[in-house]
Amino acid sequence: MRRADMRVVIAEDAAMMRDGLVRLLTDHGHDVCAAVGDPDSLRAAVAEHRPDAAIVDIRMPPTHTDEGLRAALDIRRDQPGVGVLVFSQYIETRYAAQLLAGDASGVGYLLKDRVADIGEFLDALVRVASGGTALDPEVVGHLLRTSRDATGLATLTARERDVLALMAEGRSNAGIADALYITAGVVEKHSANIFAKLGLPPSDADNRRVLAVLRYLRS
Amino acid sequence: MFRPTRDNDGVTDTPREQIALARAGMAVRTAFVAPFTGRARRELTFCLIGVAFGLVVLAAPFVLIGLATAVTLLLPRPDHQPAVNVSLLVIIPLGLVAIVVLATPAGRAYGALQRRVAAQLLDTRIEPPPPRRSASGRERTIGALLGDGPGWRALGYGLVKIPLSVAEGYAVLCWVAGIVNISYPFWWRLFRNHPPSVRLSAVPMVTPLGLFHVETFGGTFAAFGAGVAMLLAAPWLARGVSRLDVAVMRPLLGPGKLAEQVRQLRDSRAQAVDDAAAMVRRLERDLHDGAQIRLATLAMTLGMASEKLGTDGAAPDVDEARELVAAAHRGAKDALADLRDLVRGIHPPVLDAGLPDALSTLAAGCPIPARLTTDLPIRPAPAIETIAYFCIAELLANATKHSQASHIAIDVTARSNKTLAITVDDDGIGGASVTAGGGLAGLTRRISTVDGDMRVTSPSGGPTTIAIDLPMSA
Repeated sequence: MRRADMRVVIAEDAAMMRDGLVRLLTDHGHDVCAAVGDPDSLRAAVAEHRPDAAIVDIRMPPTHTDEGLRAALDIRRDQPGVGVLVFSQYIETRYAAQLLAGDASGVGYLLKDRVADIGEFLDALVRVASGGTALDPEVVGHLLRTSRDATGLATLTARERDVLALMAEGRSNAGIADALYITAGVVEKHSANIFAKLGLPPSDADNRRVLAVLRYLRS
Repeated sequence: MFRPTRDNDGVTDTPREQIALARAGMAVRTAFVAPFTGRARRELTFCLIGVAFGLVVLAAPFVLIGLATAVTLLLPRPDHQPAVNVSLLVIIPLGLVAIVVLATPAGRAYGALQRRVAAQLLDTRIEPPPPRRSASGRERTIGALLGDGPGWRALGYGLVKIPLSVAEGYAVLCWVAGIVNISYPFWWRLFRNHPPSVRLSAVPMVTPLGLFHVETFGGTFAAFGAGVAMLLAAPWLARGVSRLDVAVMRPLLGPGKLAEQVRQLRDSRAQAVDDAAAMVRRLERDLHDGAQIRLATLAMTLGMASEKLGTDGAAPDVDEARELVAAAHRGAKDALADLRDLVRGIHPPVLDAGLPDALSTLAAGCPIPARLTTDLPIRPAPAIETIAYFCIAELLANATKHSQASHIAIDVTARSNKTLAITVDDDGIGGASVTAGGGLAGLTRRISTVDGDMRVTSPSGGPTTIAIDLPMSA
């Protein structure tokens, strides 16, 4: 899935990183409408440009705690059409839970390190911009670890667990098949098993799948 | 000290006389204004309340005896048993026990009230003593009540308060009687316009020197004069007496020496813990905003470069790839420099070789020429070396930023194997001060965690001398 004409707003207070992101996106044919360094300018830029996606750093001025996250939540509430990719140097499960609360469409949460793999980073951004989900493997790992004791999850095989983790990252069946070097048919079989073991009704939409999985993981 | 002046006669005296005159004028004004300031009013109120406090102590025994008597009389007594036996056998011992047990809580309550009055009226905060505690940790055992030092001290204050309240009453008397005396000439004619044949008794007049009698209208002016004098003297008397009261209050109603020391230790420990936490937070922040972001950007730049180079065969865009690799190279070097600075900020490795070596590196790096002298026959403890190093580093940075000095002198001397004396002098413009939230306040906090001490002498116009004393071992 590649699109070369996304309109993106970037909010990142470290100028170095911001400039790098602008260059990266422009290089790949995307349109960076605005690159700002604080949450208020972000809200204003999103309201003005109505971009396909916003890349939002969690820690921004003035207090450098979770301003970015709060701005991201506001954008998700006020501008549902805008995909929000939250971007951070560390992963907090609580932030992930807040972001995914209610609806997991058009939202992503990635470690900044992921930008090193440009292809995957852009894939994630495209996914978020087109209403999908992109969760950092770290987030999924956290969630899986913290809820290992939950009933049902323990009955999954190692392979099913791998599939579930990739599913939770927001990947499509084809993406999962690619990552695990198996066929899409096998993935479908695994996911049917997972849903059966976890007692979730199977569904076509990727996002509802992720949401269901995460809701289960959070419980 | 002899100072040669060109013109010694007359000229130098005149300004001095003028200053003396001005001073005298000011003193007179102060004396006349004093009775009417808010402070005088509050001190007088304090004295007035002091009298009440003294009366409470004086009245306490009578109240207790009265209570005991009332209880004895009101007790239902069987016909065949005389009341005296009951009171002797039961009431008196019970009463005594009750008095002893309730003494220290009563003392504490009395002290707390007195401290509040002092805080309200004299703006004097006296820390309360630590809460009562017995050896077993329970608060309400008889032993805890009896062994409650601060409670007994407060009762001692109650006893001292009796003579104090007499003095305070005297100050109040001066005020009240002063005003009354001043009024004599104004009403005398209204009430003493009797026919000459009628003889009226003399009117008494209260003064600090005793009771006088006024018999004639002329005499009322003497009363007026005495009243004015008393009114002028009263605020000073009230001030003196309240100061004396506070001086007595501090040792008797305060926390006591040991408790005070414990409080100071607790404060400095809290500060040390806060400092450590703040340091960790700063480190995290420095890493997050510095090296980490540089490395993430570096990874991204390299990712872009590798895209430009393609997966195999001839590179699609060599020029841009080259440029990106050069940027990444620069970024890597910046990240290294960042990390190096950060490491030096945590613990300068050269400090392991001793304070003199570390300080000479520091002095050499200072933009203002800095001369360093050290005399350290023995090494201070590592923690002290670290604090000394960072204090001097901060002072040098401060001087570089604000002092406009052309020379700095640093001296570090071990005095008597116990104290590490540090002085940092500069010949700059001065004006350095310890303000809340400023760099010097941070130093003071850091120094106080090891019971050290910092003195700042920095008059406007300079020069500045900052002297720090640290213990040799923390």
